[in-house]
Amino acid sequence: MGRQRLTQQNQPLLSVRGLSKTFPGLKALDDVSLEVGSGEIIALVGQNGSGKSTLVKVLAGVHQPDPGAEIALGESGDGEGQAGLHFIHQDLGLVGTLSTIENFDLGRSLGRSALMPAPVRAEAKRAQELVAGFGAEIDVRAPVEKLSAAERAIVAIARALDGWEHPRNVLVLDEPTASLHGEEVDKLFVAVRRVAERGAGVIFISHRLDEVIELADRVVCLRDGKLIADVPRGGYDHDDLVELIAGEALTAAEEVAPRAPGKPVLRARGIRAPTIAELDLELHEGEILGVSGVLGSGREEVAATLFGAGLGEVDELEIDGVATRALDPRRAIAAGVAYVPGDRHREGAVMKMTARENMTLPRLRGLRRFGGRLDGRAERQEVDGWIDRVAVRPAEPERALELFSGGNQQKVVLAKWLRNEPKALLMDEPTQGVDVGAKAGIFELIAHAAAAGAGVLVCSSDAKELALICDRVLVMRDGYVVGEMSKSNLSEAGLVRAGLGGGVASKNGGARVDQKPETEPEGVQNNA
Amino acid sequence: MPERIARALSFRNISALYIFVVMFIVFSIWVPDTFLQWNTWKALFDSQAVTAILAIGLVISITAGAFDLAIGTELGFGAIVVAWFLVDKGVGLVPAIVFTLLAGGLVGLVNGLLVTKAKIDSFIATLGMSSVLLAAIAWVSSSQQILGVGSSFEDLGTAEIFGLTLPVFLMLAVGLVVWYVLEKTALGRRVYATGGNIEAARLAGVRVSAVIIGSLVSCGVIAVFAGMLETASIGSGDPTVGPSYLLPAFSAAFLGSTQFRGGRFNVWGTIVAVYVLATGVKGLQLAGAPIWIPNLFNGAALLLAVGLAKYEATATRAGAIRRLLRFDRNRPDGGRSAAEGAS
Repeated sequence: MGRQRLTQQNQPLLSVRGLSKTFPGLKALDDVSLEVGSGEIIALVGQNGSGKSTLVKVLAGVHQPDPGAEIALGESGDGEGQAGLHFIHQDLGLVGTLSTIENFDLGRSLGRSALMPAPVRAEAKRAQELVAGFGAEIDVRAPVEKLSAAERAIVAIARALDGWEHPRNVLVLDEPTASLHGEEVDKLFVAVRRVAERGAGVIFISHRLDEVIELADRVVCLRDGKLIADVPRGGYDHDDLVELIAGEALTAAEEVAPRAPGKPVLRARGIRAPTIAELDLELHEGEILGVSGVLGSGREEVAATLFGAGLGEVDELEIDGVATRALDPRRAIAAGVAYVPGDRHREGAVMKMTARENMTLPRLRGLRRFGGRLDGRAERQEVDGWIDRVAVRPAEPERALELFSGGNQQKVVLAKWLRNEPKALLMDEPTQGVDVGAKAGIFELIAHAAAAGAGVLVCSSDAKELALICDRVLVMRDGYVVGEMSKSNLSEAGLVRAGLGGGVASKNGGARVDQKPETEPEGVQNNA
Repeated sequence: MPERIARALSFRNISALYIFVVMFIVFSIWVPDTFLQWNTWKALFDSQAVTAILAIGLVISITAGAFDLAIGTELGFGAIVVAWFLVDKGVGLVPAIVFTLLAGGLVGLVNGLLVTKAKIDSFIATLGMSSVLLAAIAWVSSSQQILGVGSSFEDLGTAEIFGLTLPVFLMLAVGLVVWYVLEKTALGRRVYATGGNIEAARLAGVRVSAVIIGSLVSCGVIAVFAGMLETASIGSGDPTVGPSYLLPAFSAAFLGSTQFRGGRFNVWGTIVAVYVLATGVKGLQLAGAPIWIPNLFNGAALLLAVGLAKYEATATRAGAIRRLLRFDRNRPDGGRSAAEGAS
């Protein structure tokens, strides 16, 4: 395995051996070994659920590894002490209202100088130098929320490095480019290279393969918790990476006679949102339509925008054959649209209320009696029926929703919308934070809803589940639909391939629109 | 269902009632001559009715997730405005009451618009409003008491039925209405949902802005109503009565939320809390405690109530997680019975 750039005295800064992590019912990491040397930039790739984030969390100490694992931090070799691990997550952990100078200052321990006046001029000078060291021109006195996304990322990196007593540490960047575009990515890469040049090791997690190819000295690929490849630069091209990530196993697509497409229940033209450039969409009666794509592809905003819950807008909208104005949640519900958000705690349900109260919240009209009184008996009866139908465990409608497991919370959220008998059911990450057992139950409910005539839209980062349940899947990349697969040629690997896309297509603005449906999953990209 | 009864009678559910019993016994032994007098209790009921009405109004707004810090001055505003209408403007009894209630509703409406349309945090919006109202009170009254509101108006605060004054019964009536709306109607469900998670409520089709505005309007109307009763029972419009009601109302609403409904703001818990707090204060006063005792007692009760509620929430959650883990480890059968037994 790859130690190609390590000289004898240049022992690795981080060495992981035999790392496994088992969650109840799931082996998230299986015997992973990995070394990071000084000056190396390592890209960690793998699709959703492959174990990347678990690996990062184990390194960060959030999860305890299974016994037997060995995680060692190298001596820096120059008697400067042990190498350290630094993490920069996607949200960067900066305080938006503070300036770059002040953000730099946050992590530093103040000691006796806590009450002394801050040496403003010296600090400003130092901050300027630090940032300039990464090839960026940043107004260090401006609040960081006023900076561009790339500049913020650079500030976060500079801050991490500012605290280092010696340069030989390991910096872990978790999807730093998900919210950046072309030029900004380049700026960030300049900074990352400088970090490595100074002797640090960098672990870089990204879904964008062109970036990986451009930046990484070595690519480490995880699949199903196993480390399946550790290849040095030059040992792979774009196609190889896609192959590694997606896996060979093209599970023979079930030969299901395509259901006769019913009439369209939802037709939208010109969907636009911060991450969606342009999208048209047609959802048919009885159809389960998937939307696939990596983080930042626009996939996350489709359902919310259609429901009128997001920042985006829709030019033309037709529900069940009737043209309507763009929706807001109230009108959407009245028109027969339901929306299951990806973030259950923030948007999906009122966690402090009981399962019963959550289920009936969107439609209380049928339960209203004289004087606005709620018919408690009718409500309990109806909710008991739903709890039974969606198999909520424990079957206690009077329990606060926050006390259920994730899977059962999601079943309650689903029941609350199925109760409305929606014509179009929009779902975002329907199985996020859901245990394996409840997952199957949720798929079954989705299938039932479709069988009952609803059009179901499932937006998910999990290609496996889309391949399993959908009749048709749209693949998004950089705000556009770049592919469409129907049941006959639908496969997890094909979706992953299409979502990762070609190296050129995702960087050049003009070349990305590719509305032509992909018939062959293998034919999606060909430009390595 | 003995389990249900046990839960209903548990200390956690009705701690205020147990505390009341303990206080009753202690003060009965400590100061039996004064504490066990009917007159003491009558005074207690009468004097706390206004606080209780105000706290009920506050329950509406906190349930919707809006903190009305102007509620004390809204009471003071009602107290002075009704006297101003009656005395300075010479308006008749019924119109004066109606106008005052409308003024209270208007104050609530402005609060609501500041929170929902101008997107000012409810703390800040109502804090600002509170200062504006103080100015209005001083302006209308020239910081002088307004005397001579008339005996027919005073009757509102002093007329007795079954040995208790009218405000006690009015308090129960307001409580009944608010309880019905909050807990028995579809509207109330939406108010709770808005306060519980405004984003989830909005996505479930609840008109959250309307709910917040409506709750602040009701809160304003009830607050000036309480203020009018205050004026009626002391017989004059006093420009200084408002602010001191703020803390007792908040203490009662938060302490009340720990009672009966497992952490939810609710009317009956709040009324019980008002009287339990007042009993404690009264007992200590009778036992010769210094004049600052009410402030200390109410403040400590507020901190204790909120602290307890937070602690309880984490404890329940931790318990549920523990049960889930046990559920995982055991076979489904044994795990399930453990989970059910513990819940």
